[in-house]
Amino acid sequence: MDLFLQTLVNGLIQSGTYALASSGLALAVGVLHIVNFAHGEFLMVGAFTAYWLSLLVGVDPLVSLVPAGALLFVASGGIYRFSVRHVLLAPELNALLLTFGIAITLQNLAVLAFGATPRVVHTAYQITTLSLGPISVGVAPLITLVVSVAVLSGMYAVLYRTGVGKSIRAVAQNRTGAYLVGLDVDRIYLLTFGLASALAAVAGAMVLVRIGASPHMGFAFVLKAFAIIVMAGLGNLTGVLWASLILATGEAFVRTYVPGGGGWAEAVFFLLIFGTLVWRSWRQA
Amino acid sequence: MRNVAVILVIVAMVALGGTEGLAQREQVRIGITLPLTGPASVSGKAAEAGFRLALDEINKAGGVLGSRMQVIIEDDGNLPARAVPIFTKFVTVDRVHAITGIFGSAVGVSIVGPAKLHEPLILMIGAASPLVERGFADYKYLFHYHPWAYHNLEAVFNFMEFLRTGTGASTIAILYEDGPFGSTGIDDTRRELIRRGFDVPFMEAFKSGSGDFTALLTRAKRHPVDVLFWIGFDADALPIAVQAREVGFAPRMIFGTPASWPVGFEANPVARDVAGLAGWTSASPLAASREFVKKYQAKYRATTEEYMAPMAYTILTTLAAAMNKAGTPDKDRVTAELARTDAETPMGRLRFRPSRLSPSIYQGFDADLWMVFQFRDGRRVPVWPTHVAAGPLAWRWR
Repeated sequence: MDLFLQTLVNGLIQSGTYALASSGLALAVGVLHIVNFAHGEFLMVGAFTAYWLSLLVGVDPLVSLVPAGALLFVASGGIYRFSVRHVLLAPELNALLLTFGIAITLQNLAVLAFGATPRVVHTAYQITTLSLGPISVGVAPLITLVVSVAVLSGMYAVLYRTGVGKSIRAVAQNRTGAYLVGLDVDRIYLLTFGLASALAAVAGAMVLVRIGASPHMGFAFVLKAFAIIVMAGLGNLTGVLWASLILATGEAFVRTYVPGGGGWAEAVFFLLIFGTLVWRSWRQA
Repeated sequence: MRNVAVILVIVAMVALGGTEGLAQREQVRIGITLPLTGPASVSGKAAEAGFRLALDEINKAGGVLGSRMQVIIEDDGNLPARAVPIFTKFVTVDRVHAITGIFGSAVGVSIVGPAKLHEPLILMIGAASPLVERGFADYKYLFHYHPWAYHNLEAVFNFMEFLRTGTGASTIAILYEDGPFGSTGIDDTRRELIRRGFDVPFMEAFKSGSGDFTALLTRAKRHPVDVLFWIGFDADALPIAVQAREVGFAPRMIFGTPASWPVGFEANPVARDVAGLAGWTSASPLAASREFVKKYQAKYRATTEEYMAPMAYTILTTLAAAMNKAGTPDKDRVTAELARTDAETPMGRLRFRPSRLSPSIYQGFDADLWMVFQFRDGRRVPVWPTHVAAGPLAWRWR
């Protein structure tokens, strides 16, 4: 029973990281209708921003998630203006190839600038654990979970309780209709892309504490994020939380209870994508 | 007619003598292929720094065969598809006198064909897989400086024996990444540890770079072990050390064998007493190593902990010495001289022996190259073998 509970807690804790990493992608898919392959690399840039702030200025990664988010918000605004904006009305493949190109470029720029070796920071809470009977939890992933829930709640509040959120939802539902009622669609897209990228940067700053920063770190997260947004329903921000929970606990249970599960766990997200798509097509038939 | 013949003979003799003289002054060119970009670039760049340090030293001392030695360094990205054209260019366009570098085993295997076609003199810095050894069977011009993979395992087994003798360690949990690096021969490793009397109650694969070890470590925790032995990459070092604490897993030692460690890991409190396998550390007490560290600091204003740097330095300096002794860049004569190498290097004494699986290959370092260090106070302190130990073994991780 202890093992079962610890596994459940492990999954729950990990789901915070997954939700944070996926929410930006869900936003981009839901509003801009583009699959942003560079989302993982935005996360990587966020992690490196937090790393350098920690190393050079001594800023805690928990604090630096604010400047990291702000930096990515501004930088991705530039990326949107110069590239993404021009393919939004083109066939979907164009956006896919464009963001893939951005991902490769960012990854290689990071290798050139920082080298391929992972970089790690240390914080006081990195090695602090909380114990409740036989269950042990790290403080750092617990903070990630709390931040994740807070950020997603904030996002939800913005989307459903503010005028800007209403505009974003209107554009997501019907771009032409939103334009006809006088909304500045391009500005909404810019804002959403920046917000989505900032969320990726926040996720990067949070994972820095547990796994460090490296130019190739984004790919693993973007794969998981794809599985999560497919499960949640493309663009469904509220579904991201429970989809993250299913993926993270699924992986934790496979790792714990399946022989050789350490290798098999990485196949869980493929299985979930496959299962979700088959189930949806069966239901629609 | 006789006069003409005499003149022709004299001209021919002068020409031959002249050619020999030219040959002696011919600039020696060495082709170096390394992964300067991509995930293996840390090792590749360290090797480049070592080669350049050696080159400066060689040329300051008069060069090779009376001329400055020239190196042509190319980036193969550790990819066979890039390494093969580079190798072919070295032989057919640059007409180098020897080829070195060749870091990854996949690159080593990929050049077997072109090497057998052109038969250049090759000095390998890495490529530890026995597949490379078997591929180069009967090849007469290969000097493999790096130990083979089975040498690396021998060193691990010897260290485990040392732990058992010194501390009574008897149980080991193994985590290995599920790619070729971690999983090749893993069952043999477990069998060998059991044959040597160790209990291995937990062995599990993981996906390198996944960053989530909590479930695996939670399971490992159910088997109280003395040593957690993990085989993976630098990206796995921090998550394993941090998450072992998070789930309350407390082996007496965490021992990993990544090719390199994350930047800043040594300064992190979680790294304290984590043990690793290394071909060399800057804290090595060997005189040649101290000399190397001094030269490296003078040239780069920095220190290195990457063993590829002294390995590259060793390769180029021993090659230059062999060429100077041979008095010619001719590969047969250089091979003969290089085979006689008996030198104190930063990494220990270097002598070549016939390789175990393919005796035509000249094998340099073996299991004795490896040392075990522990991270302590932001440094890597060698703790085994005892003749290079710079500090006591800490048997109390956490």
